[in-house]
Amino acid sequence: MPNIELIGVDKSYVAGQYAVRDLHLTIPDGGFMCLLGPSGCGKTTTLRMIAGLEQPTRGDIRVGSRLLDSVGQGLFVPPEKRGMGLVFQSYALWPHMTVTRNVEFGLMMRKTPTAQRAQRAAEAMEMLHIADYAARYPSQLSGGQQQRVALARMLAVDPEVMLLDEPLSNLDARLRLEMRAEIKRIHQRSHATVVLVTHDQLEAMTMATHVTVMNEGVVEQTGTPMEVYERPASVFVAQFVGSPPMNTMPFGSADVAGPGATVADYVAARVGRPPTDGTGGVRPEALHIAYADADVPDGVWRAPAVVDTVLPTGSAWTVQLRCHGEPLYVQSYRKIETTPGAEVTLWAAASDLHVFDADGRRMTGWDQFLREQRSGQRPAAGPAVASGSGR
Amino acid sequence: MAVIDRPAPPAPPPPTQTPASRWGRIRYRARVLLAEPTTLIGIALVLIFGYLVIAPLVAIVSDAARVQFGDDSRAGAPAGSLTGYYLWRVFRSPISASLFWEPLSHTVVVGLGVVVFAVVLGGSMAWLVTRTNVPGRKFLAGALVVPYMLPSWTFALAWLTLFKNNRSGGTPGFLETWGVQTPDWLAYGAVPIIVTLGLHYYPFVFLLFGNALRRIDSQLEESARVLGANRSQGMRHVVLPLLLPSLSSAVLLVLGRVLGTFGTPYILGLPTDYAMLSTSLYRSIHTRAPGVAAVIAAVIVLLGVLVVLIDMRLVREQRRFVTIGGKGSMDRATDLRRWRWPAYGLAMAVFVTSVVVPLVTLALSTVTYAPGVFRADNFTLKFWTAESIPEAVGFPHGLLRSGDLYEAMWNSLRIVGMAALVCGLVGLMVGYVVARSPSRRLSGTLRQVSFLPYLVPGIAFAAAYLTLFAVPRGPIPALYGTTLLLVVVMAITHLPYSSRSGISAMMQLGREPEEAAQVAGAGWLTRLRRIVLPIQKGALTTGVLLPFISGLKELSIVIMLTTASTPLLTTLSINLVDFGYRQQANAAVLIIAALSFTVTYLAQRATRSNLATGLGG
Repeated sequence: MPNIELIGVDKSYVAGQYAVRDLHLTIPDGGFMCLLGPSGCGKTTTLRMIAGLEQPTRGDIRVGSRLLDSVGQGLFVPPEKRGMGLVFQSYALWPHMTVTRNVEFGLMMRKTPTAQRAQRAAEAMEMLHIADYAARYPSQLSGGQQQRVALARMLAVDPEVMLLDEPLSNLDARLRLEMRAEIKRIHQRSHATVVLVTHDQLEAMTMATHVTVMNEGVVEQTGTPMEVYERPASVFVAQFVGSPPMNTMPFGSADVAGPGATVADYVAARVGRPPTDGTGGVRPEALHIAYADADVPDGVWRAPAVVDTVLPTGSAWTVQLRCHGEPLYVQSYRKIETTPGAEVTLWAAASDLHVFDADGRRMTGWDQFLREQRSGQRPAAGPAVASGSGR
Repeated sequence: MAVIDRPAPPAPPPPTQTPASRWGRIRYRARVLLAEPTTLIGIALVLIFGYLVIAPLVAIVSDAARVQFGDDSRAGAPAGSLTGYYLWRVFRSPISASLFWEPLSHTVVVGLGVVVFAVVLGGSMAWLVTRTNVPGRKFLAGALVVPYMLPSWTFALAWLTLFKNNRSGGTPGFLETWGVQTPDWLAYGAVPIIVTLGLHYYPFVFLLFGNALRRIDSQLEESARVLGANRSQGMRHVVLPLLLPSLSSAVLLVLGRVLGTFGTPYILGLPTDYAMLSTSLYRSIHTRAPGVAAVIAAVIVLLGVLVVLIDMRLVREQRRFVTIGGKGSMDRATDLRRWRWPAYGLAMAVFVTSVVVPLVTLALSTVTYAPGVFRADNFTLKFWTAESIPEAVGFPHGLLRSGDLYEAMWNSLRIVGMAALVCGLVGLMVGYVVARSPSRRLSGTLRQVSFLPYLVPGIAFAAAYLTLFAVPRGPIPALYGTTLLLVVVMAITHLPYSSRSGISAMMQLGREPEEAAQVAGAGWLTRLRRIVLPIQKGALTTGVLLPFISGLKELSIVIMLTTASTPLLTTLSINLVDFGYRQQANAAVLIIAALSFTVTYLAQRATRSNLATGLGG
């Protein structure tokens, strides 16, 4: 089973405007790759190019040793000869065929003998618990059932590459949870290479083995879900992955003097050279509220803030605050005892701070500093570096 | 120690990518194009439509400006050279009055008259049926559309059967036999043309206006009332402004139709030389004056384009007031109280006048010797069934005994059927290409080109085809008189309707069901056969039936292009009118009416839809 490789792929519909630009992407064999990004970022276009439904303006696409698109060599394999499986956002079930006929269609196209065809279709339907609806037409099914038919239709042909285009976006929250597990189970059982397009970061985090975050046709970051979460490569990724999104503070905006240093000052004090421009970030769950100064550990970053409002979610509390005029969120799993208008101190451990340069890219210098500090090559900048979100 | 620095540059691209040469790119695009024929089909359709729509119009203009064969002495220039002679002849010469200016003024008079008649009748009926509690609304909603399903000149023949006087020969009219000598103005010319065309076209207004009324949320009117407007103020400030666009649209559509209509002015205008542009065009072609005919046809095309452009402008305006009705907001009908039954009587009177009277008159006339005399010895079936009618030299047998009828019927079914089939399939194909083509320019062009025939009134289109295909041009042989030409013209004139419905059907379907099949491994033909056509079965049926029904009644186009060797039902009936064999002519029209009515009915049963609404759109 193959790696999927996209090599220098461009796609532009109008000359000079790119839907996808200079895309280099390798999806490892048997992996579960999530293409994550806001609408219009080129993720669906990328998926459709892998399927062959859209054609790149430049570049090559190959699966294993098989070259599917090569604009340079003038080579194009049409979608029907790629042998992939694709589930559409709208499911695209054929309304004039029963569930069984829908599921069998791909096998029929592959000229599978009738007996075997019926058996494999039955297996696929069994696996997705839709065997009871085999004789129904798509219009007689609920949204969740249609979704299962679409998945069964793909599974029946047992493709080596499964492409899923926002398959869960039309389902309600509960069904979505159920189908997430279902899809993950399908992947684990089939060992196929899966590419899933979504704008829901939670989907990406929970299901994928690899995540590619895209923005405006360009890849922002590729990595495992935890890598993307823990070390976002750019401000965009930092804000897109995680809920509530990462708090960001532009260096320039926090020119307030006082007990709370800006992120820029804090960083500069530790690594030497003050960055002139950039953004600091800290995840809401790594940000802590202290009601008294004495509660703040030494050596951490700290800043004064005013509580705006408290939003309990049942399992957690989300607090909206204002720090130097910027809105910030704190996510806490301990009960928050504060009222709107209260003045508090926010703090975060150095290891929970993310630093981005003026272009929004992650600064490697800060990460290196933290690494060296952890391995003892550098003396700790402060007496205590708190252990982050665990508190 | 430069710890804070730029991130490492992204890893250099793997070396496996093939450099994109221009040649490679061209080959790649060719591969993609050839992988499925959508684009090629689209290009072919644009070229074919372009030729079939634009070439005839060019031919008209060129004929209008060039000396025609045989006219060299009159025009004072050799055949084929450029000339202003025909323009002079049509617009300025001593005979320009009877060639052009009178027909033009007649067309304007009739057009306006029909519009007023149709708006008053159709508008009031629409209001009664959609906004009041008149009894039998459901029946009336269907019944009042029937006149539009009859051939337009049915009414003209019925009128003659009733009001004809001794000015023209042949079988006398009902009133004539009863001893009433009708004046010419009542028997022929403007008045009867306006009334009969009005009776045919009011369903148009009825449908369009009725739809608009139905869409208006009565809460809009009620809000005005709550804010202190009385009934007439609410009407004036809220309802009427919302209705105006659909009204003007209906008016312009009727005007456009009147411009191209031939049968009625031919039957009712001829005896008193009351010519309209369409009949003047026909006469010029019949008297072998192709240059003059080309000029008149060009004027008709211009007027037609003008009407459609105004309409399109107004429709665009109308978009601004798309009113989305709330749930269950309608059905707050005005209570007519004691006027309920009188209103019902009025509506029924309209139905009886526009459907029952004409059909019964025609039917009675075909089974009596002397019209209007209802004595037992006056009834006969001979005009339907007699082996021989010696006094009718041109058509010496009962209609049903004549091979001509069956030949014409077969021709009609065959030619119209073929045209409708072509039209429906091509319409769906247009929809397919527009919805699927990756090139926005191609789909846009195709959409526009397939709409073009809508701009050209039927009779002018036929004249253009006559001009174009009377002689061989390049690789295309002279097609005049062939079945193929009739099929092509009928298909092309109905193309705008069928491609519009094809486009909307394909757009509604979207591309995903087909793409799903493609990814599952189905090639283009398989997809078409197993996915697209089965899903679009309904749309295809409608796309074939609508042109079929309207083609069966089509006269203005075919009158120019049929020859004695391929008579159609419609031309057969006009021939019988020409002979003065009133009974047989009426019988032929009844057959057409019955046929078109049956097909419509069956089609509605089959597709479980209301085709009448489609006819109006």
